[in-house]
Amino acid sequence: MSLARIKWREILGRFGLVMALVALVVILSLLSDRFMTSSNVINVLRQISINAIIASGMTVVIIGRGIDLSVGSLLALTGVVGASLAVAGLPPGVAIAGALALGTFMGVFNGVFIAYAGIAPFIVTLAGLTIFRGMALAITDGRPVSGLPPVFMTIGYGSFLGLPVPIWIMLGFLLLTHVILRYTALGRAIYAIGGNEEAARLSGIPVRRTILFTFAYSGLAASLAAMVLTGRLNSAQPSAGVMFELDAIAAVVVGGTSLFGGRGGVFGTLVGALIIGVINNGMNLLNVPSFYQQIVKGGVILAALLIERLVASRRT
Amino acid sequence: MALLTMTGMHKRFGNVIALDDVDFTLEAGEVHALVGENGAGKSTLMKVLAGVQPPDAGTMTLAEREVRFASVTEAQANGVVMVYQELALVPSLSVTENLLLGRLPPLVRYGDLRARARDLLAQVDLAIDPNAEVGRLGIGERQLIEIARALSREGRVLVLDEPTAALSATETDHLFEIIGKVKAQGVSVVYISHRLEEVFRIADRVTVLRDGKRVGTRSLAETSAEEIVRLMVGKAVRRYERPQRHEAEELGRFEVGGGGDLQTTTIALRAGEIVGLAGVIGSGRERVLPTAFGLHGTARWRERPLRSPRDAIREGIVLVPSDRKTQGLVLELTVQENVSLATLERLQRLGFMRSGLERQQTRRWIERLSLRPPEPHKPVFELSGGNQQKVVIAKALATEPKVLLLDEPTRGVDVGARAELYDVIDDLSSRGLGLLLSSSDTEELLGLSDRILVFRGGRIATTLTPPFAYEEVVAHVTGAHQVA
Repeated sequence: MSLARIKWREILGRFGLVMALVALVVILSLLSDRFMTSSNVINVLRQISINAIIASGMTVVIIGRGIDLSVGSLLALTGVVGASLAVAGLPPGVAIAGALALGTFMGVFNGVFIAYAGIAPFIVTLAGLTIFRGMALAITDGRPVSGLPPVFMTIGYGSFLGLPVPIWIMLGFLLLTHVILRYTALGRAIYAIGGNEEAARLSGIPVRRTILFTFAYSGLAASLAAMVLTGRLNSAQPSAGVMFELDAIAAVVVGGTSLFGGRGGVFGTLVGALIIGVINNGMNLLNVPSFYQQIVKGGVILAALLIERLVASRRT
Repeated sequence: MALLTMTGMHKRFGNVIALDDVDFTLEAGEVHALVGENGAGKSTLMKVLAGVQPPDAGTMTLAEREVRFASVTEAQANGVVMVYQELALVPSLSVTENLLLGRLPPLVRYGDLRARARDLLAQVDLAIDPNAEVGRLGIGERQLIEIARALSREGRVLVLDEPTAALSATETDHLFEIIGKVKAQGVSVVYISHRLEEVFRIADRVTVLRDGKRVGTRSLAETSAEEIVRLMVGKAVRRYERPQRHEAEELGRFEVGGGGDLQTTTIALRAGEIVGLAGVIGSGRERVLPTAFGLHGTARWRERPLRSPRDAIREGIVLVPSDRKTQGLVLELTVQENVSLATLERLQRLGFMRSGLERQQTRRWIERLSLRPPEPHKPVFELSGGNQQKVVIAKALATEPKVLLLDEPTRGVDVGARAELYDVIDDLSSRGLGLLLSSSDTEELLGLSDRILVFRGGRIATTLTPPFAYEEVVAHVTGAHQVA
């Protein structure tokens, strides 16, 4: 009985978000008759796929009470490395695997400084943000990498069962993240560390290894997003992904994951990414100038958190 | 006419009636103890008084004037001050700045301020440097600073909520001296405590609350501890007595040391034995268990080094830490998630949680420790202190340990839940576990231990064997017999 009650409360917490999304959709479909067309809906999903993939990794990091500011730069680095490998003649599968491995490795690099040297995640990943960007620019001499094999076109523009490939990749990664967080011992350890690191340590949980994992996972997410973006642009830009970390963090917090760790989930992150994506899309349809779009987006993030806060305080 | 009268106070939180028609009076220059089990309404009553929460109904008169405090600031302006433990001080500022916070002149002349601060510190007999950073001071000193600050603002009513919980015996004595001094100046003190011996030591009257109702107010000269406990509990209390047990095989020996106050010490432990550790804060006693769990210093168990909690758990040693909120629990996780925390490795297959096994384990411990409510999916922050402690113990026991380290297992736990925890501890020893029990509660040590090791100056000063005498233990702990 009480089990039902708690689930209900949990759902209520998420429900607010979904309602906000539904309200947005209703308003936009009233304002623009182009909004609720199936092509536009797919368009929105495809537009948010890159952010949602990065934000999935970010969710894992933030639940563990960390933050990863390096994802945008890491996306650029892994994008140009993967593309360069493919252009150099390696089989595309190997090139992509190499890029994903590099992303994971760079996440481990962040994680070592954070978990083992005890430096604050904010600082370490801020350093990562400039280091990875610098590496991406150095490797390419600042020039985009193009002339990619057709596999990248398939990633960016192919479709399967009527849905574009980027959406499938996004859904797959969201599902993977959800399974890790909810159904594995590792996921449990991440929530425990985010909620109370000391208690986790005293319970014999391998705290450092687990924190290391969260950053490695975020690195993997960034490199996966890099593959999607490279496919969309059919080239890899060393200047890609600037400020992507902020969009990802915004999706996570709008999605109800606490920046103080220990609470949240990837379903909320998807809804958060959708809210941001729908707003962007809606404003484009309504021809809102892009300068104003940024102001509105920031305002929506504040409003979402304010509502969340009010709901939370009424609950306790 | 009393200085303060609260009449017909009502307060309700959702379905819970926290205060039900409570009357309370406070005379000028009186120390009035407020006692009751957890959840009886003590803190709520005082929050209403101090302007933290408005009452739903009821009137308050202070010095023959009807008052209603909408905020803490308003209460303070009327001389009603609640002394929190360390919360109200800014750790990074100096003692002087903290004492005069909010009243600093626009142009700060430090010489004058320091002189003023020194006067205030003298009022509470605190000989510390006014320039010292508050964050570096002990809890006892911080409390006295708060009292000094309250007095400097012409406080007439001081509310102390469990002020001695983290104090050593000496600090407690000092605090009580100051309370006596303050009282002589005509200030009234409301003293919330779980410790009856303290209540008898310093209070003039005591009001007992139970389930949000006032069940009695007594003058301490005309009552007994038995009567007060009866009022608190509402039924007869079971006296705890530990039967003599047989000697059993030795499980192993701990060798702990190398951490701050603690010199290298060896403790042998038998199966089924409960070894009590006594000693004031700073005696080294409070470092023994964290060290034995591999948290700091150096520890060996059966000649094998314990370098981390993981090592210890692997050796069958598990700690129930002294502070369940910061060390024992992940508050926002559920009962089940907390119980599983130390056994994640066993509850998984190929990384995936085995949910059936996990449910089964949780259900077993909920039953065995009679957790209330018996709901595995409730976040632990919603449980009472005693039940939270049961969750910490369940988590520890789920590892199927051979040795259980209990660090202040009943701190902040009410009388009823305490007796239940004692039953659990007793049951564990009869199942052959070896237990080390570190406690600042002498009665608890007396009731549970087969042997008491008294720590003083970083080492075992005395080993006491049954039958124990209360006075004897206290004398050894405080070192009083050495003075004589």
